[in-house]
Amino acid sequence: MRPGSAYPKMHFLVADNPSSSSSSILAVSAPEAKELGLYVHVPFCTKRCGYCSFNTAPLTDGAMARYLEALHREIDLLGALAWAPGVRLATVFLGGGTPSLLAVDEMAAALDGIRAQFEVAPDAEITVECNPESVTREKLEGYRVAGVNRLSLGIQSLDDTILPRLGRLHDARGARSAFEAAREAGCVNLSVDLMYGLPGLDLAGWAGAVDAVLDWQPDHVSAYGLTLDAGSLWGAAGVEGIPAEQEQIDQYWRLAHAAAARGLEHYEISNYARPGCRSRHNQIYWRAAEYLAAGPGACGFVGGIRYANVRATPRYCETLAAGVLPIESSERLSSRQKLGERLILGLRTADGVPTSWLETRLDGDQRLRQRLDTWRAQALLAGTGDRIHLTEAGFLLSDALFVELL
Amino acid sequence: MALRRIRNFSIVAHIDHGKSTLADRLLALTGTMDPKKAVDQVLDSMDLERERGITIKAHTVRLLYRARDGQEYTLNLIDTPGHVDFSYEVSRALAACEGAILIVDAAQGIEAQTLANFYLASDANLTIVPVINKIDLPAADVEGTRTQITETLELDGSEALAISAKHGTGVPEVLEAIVARIPPPEGDPEAPLKALVFDSFYDSYQGVVVHVRLTDGRVRPGMRILLMSNGRSYEVQQVGVFSPDMRPVEELSAGQVGYLTASIKRVADAKVGETITETLRPTAAAFPGYRDAKPMVFAGLYSIDDTEYEALRDALEKLRLNDPAFTYEPETSLALGYGFRCGFLGMLHMEIVQERLEREFNLSLIVTAPSVQYKVLTTAGEVIDIDNPSKLPSPDRIEQMDEPYVTSSVFVPTEFMTAIYKLAQEKRGEHRSLEYHGKRVHIKFDFPLAEIVVDFYDRLKSISKGYASFDYELSEFRPSDLVKLDILLNGDPVDALSSIVHRDKAYEKGKALVEKLRKVIPRQLFEVAIQAAIGSRVIARETVKAMGKNVTAKCYGGDITRKRKLLERQKEGKKRMKQVGKVEVPQEAFLSVLKS
Ligand SMILES: Nc1nc2c(ncn2[C@@H]2O[C@H](COP(=O)(O)OP(=O)(O)OP(=O)(O)O)[C@@H](O)[C@H]2O)c(=O)[nH]1
Ligand SMILES: [Mg+2]
Repeated sequence: MRPGSAYPKMHFLVADNPSSSSSSILAVSAPEAKELGLYVHVPFCTKRCGYCSFNTAPLTDGAMARYLEALHREIDLLGALAWAPGVRLATVFLGGGTPSLLAVDEMAAALDGIRAQFEVAPDAEITVECNPESVTREKLEGYRVAGVNRLSLGIQSLDDTILPRLGRLHDARGARSAFEAAREAGCVNLSVDLMYGLPGLDLAGWAGAVDAVLDWQPDHVSAYGLTLDAGSLWGAAGVEGIPAEQEQIDQYWRLAHAAAARGLEHYEISNYARPGCRSRHNQIYWRAAEYLAAGPGACGFVGGIRYANVRATPRYCETLAAGVLPIESSERLSSRQKLGERLILGLRTADGVPTSWLETRLDGDQRLRQRLDTWRAQALLAGTGDRIHLTEAGFLLSDALFVELL
Repeated sequence: MALRRIRNFSIVAHIDHGKSTLADRLLALTGTMDPKKAVDQVLDSMDLERERGITIKAHTVRLLYRARDGQEYTLNLIDTPGHVDFSYEVSRALAACEGAILIVDAAQGIEAQTLANFYLASDANLTIVPVINKIDLPAADVEGTRTQITETLELDGSEALAISAKHGTGVPEVLEAIVARIPPPEGDPEAPLKALVFDSFYDSYQGVVVHVRLTDGRVRPGMRILLMSNGRSYEVQQVGVFSPDMRPVEELSAGQVGYLTASIKRVADAKVGETITETLRPTAAAFPGYRDAKPMVFAGLYSIDDTEYEALRDALEKLRLNDPAFTYEPETSLALGYGFRCGFLGMLHMEIVQERLEREFNLSLIVTAPSVQYKVLTTAGEVIDIDNPSKLPSPDRIEQMDEPYVTSSVFVPTEFMTAIYKLAQEKRGEHRSLEYHGKRVHIKFDFPLAEIVVDFYDRLKSISKGYASFDYELSEFRPSDLVKLDILLNGDPVDALSSIVHRDKAYEKGKALVEKLRKVIPRQLFEVAIQAAIGSRVIARETVKAMGKNVTAKCYGGDITRKRKLLERQKEGKKRMKQVGKVEVPQEAFLSVLKS
């Protein structure tokens, strides 16, 4: 262990600090299910990408060590909750930021910390998001030994003129070698992230990237259409060269068709998987199931309560240094909200939702029922017996439906 | 109280010349209002008045003033609105007064409503005290304004007081002038009660609060009073004055201005212009009465949510209690369902009513394009009033159509004359007369009312860099070549989007309208064709393309709440859409008919 990354092994355990009522929200709201997910947010990147509005900041000296110390405290505080011994983690997902900035020993310590406080299912899915330039075969091997069994590679593009414009630090070759390194390191559940609708990306360029990546035979592909988020650099300053809407739609379909031809299932709006390789962690979100949160700005859902951690990393660390869970906001969902969420999350997936959920929502809302008929008539929505789901064409327009369903 | 110690006056002026600000200073100087506690334009007490910085309703307040002659005087001040929509408020206020302070902005000079209000005051035989305000402004031209007052108003401009209501300069002299120049009221406190109702509002606890000006007699609680026009009798509950809040007093007597309550249920039972007298000892002759404020524009009001129809009806009923100038009656629209056809004094009045309904009654409304009232002579020889385009008989049943005209005054610096004439021509105006007043001209035009109710004033202001002012008055009906312009969405006519337009302007108007609608109708799951048609002839067409893509790629890191909140906000926006057939049409689409 490098001296800079040392953290104390002994912690004060303060499960419930009466001076901070929000920190105790988890103490009074036990999960409904036995199996939970855990999302861990790593709030650092070497450099922020233009399109990104996530909670991340450049990694400065000593920041990683302070963060990891706080994270360990947080896991300990979570583990000390009265109900913690009764639950089991079915998935752990390290997202960011750039979690692959963690050295192997840091990753191992983090996962050890989690296992020390929680029962982790023997077959748990443990995912780490990686940026190509920050991984080597050795590192990924180290991750695997530490327990990581799924990797998600942030490739985004294979166009060497587009990649730097995005602010990415790798090139197409680097992407390819990262993928190979992951395979060589023994990763058998390997996902690739791509983006379409990018500035300067035309259909031919996209088709080339799609076909190349599919040739690598990833187990899972996530493909996100670019959205200009208010919190991103591009959202604030604007960006030139975004393809026209029809071009973006063509790009969506190009991938959908290619993925189908290769036997990948389009199982969620932005996700494709080999049979059996869907992301278990993300499915927790889409099923409105429960998950814990750790790390700055991370969000959790436990016992009918959605909550979020403090976003700013320094304050996150200070709060934990004071022995308090850094929960900044929480909201108990009404039954109507719960239903709304289940519908809009479930309908993101190809499996859709039980027809009975929709019926509950439609009860007495004649106007919405009529609108849904239009969706069906246009083959955007399809029902197979007791379940109802959006078609691939419906996915593209899904927000227009979700607004209605809330 | 001796009549010679009473002065009753209104403050009148063109919009924004500083009436309410002067009222503030008068309240402060007389100690009616603690200046430290006072906000600006304290009499503008409605939320809407405060937000928009304008006076909508006349406000009455009593001041006690110790003059330089050592005597204490009771001054009854009525602050009035300057906007043309509310000029009827000015006339009723003047009916309660012996004098008027006529303010002229030293930088702007005499404007259209200065003149209009001057005529109202001099027709009512009031003593007019001219006041030149805003002398603190760098652009103030006090001497030029004096000359204008002399030449245009035929008052003695040299007698005008020069003040800054904002800074208080010269305001003490205004108080002295009120005492010295405005005559005290006349009347006999011992004669039978005779009081003029010049305003009234509904209060849910006390019933109608009636603003009265007594010419003879006295009134006190317990007295039985008679409303002479309808013969109803009531027992007086409370009498009082505004200072500026309602303050009960023992009695009001001849010459005084104040209020009374008498468990009167509806404002309509104690209308403006009503004469109140004693039941036991009625006065001989009632006041001549007062014409009702007549609505000039009509529009449909519909709740976006069909289930709110009843709530809308209740709200209209309540609102009308306090605003008799506005009228409503049920109507139905194929596109919008059940609603009400409402009459307003003008566009500002319409906006205010809509805003009050939405705010005070928490309703979401659609207002259809406003229309004036036409007179239609049918081939069967009947004359019918049409204030809703969709009610217009088919062309083969129409013998002749007449539209309302106004006479109007435009005051504008000479350099903008050409632009004004161009605008007038576009709006089918007919030139009547032209008078030069120094660097400015006073032009009189006749206009079809329909051409000026909507955006004329805004256009006038923008082409004259804000310098032109405008006033109008309904004059007569004239025959006109009018057609009904229909709008079709995916082939179906939308009655609420129809309008009546002059034949020569139909094409241009139809084109502008479909273009505007294309911009405001959001993309839907299917393509929407928007057409403008006269009868079966389509004269313009636009399409709203079908929605291509509307998707959130990622709910990052399980942050579902953020996504839900985003969608919830969008849903709020959608609440302001009305489904017409299969097409979702936003609220503003219905108003776009008028702005194109
Ligand atoms: N500089 C300056 N501004 C003034 C003076 N008097 C009024 N104003 C400003 O002129 C604007 C209009 O004043 P108001 O008192 O609301 O005018 P009003 O005549 O009551 O307006 P309406 O009731 O809407 O017709 C406000 O911004 C005042 O602050 C003055 O003596 N000097
Ligand atoms: Mg005012």
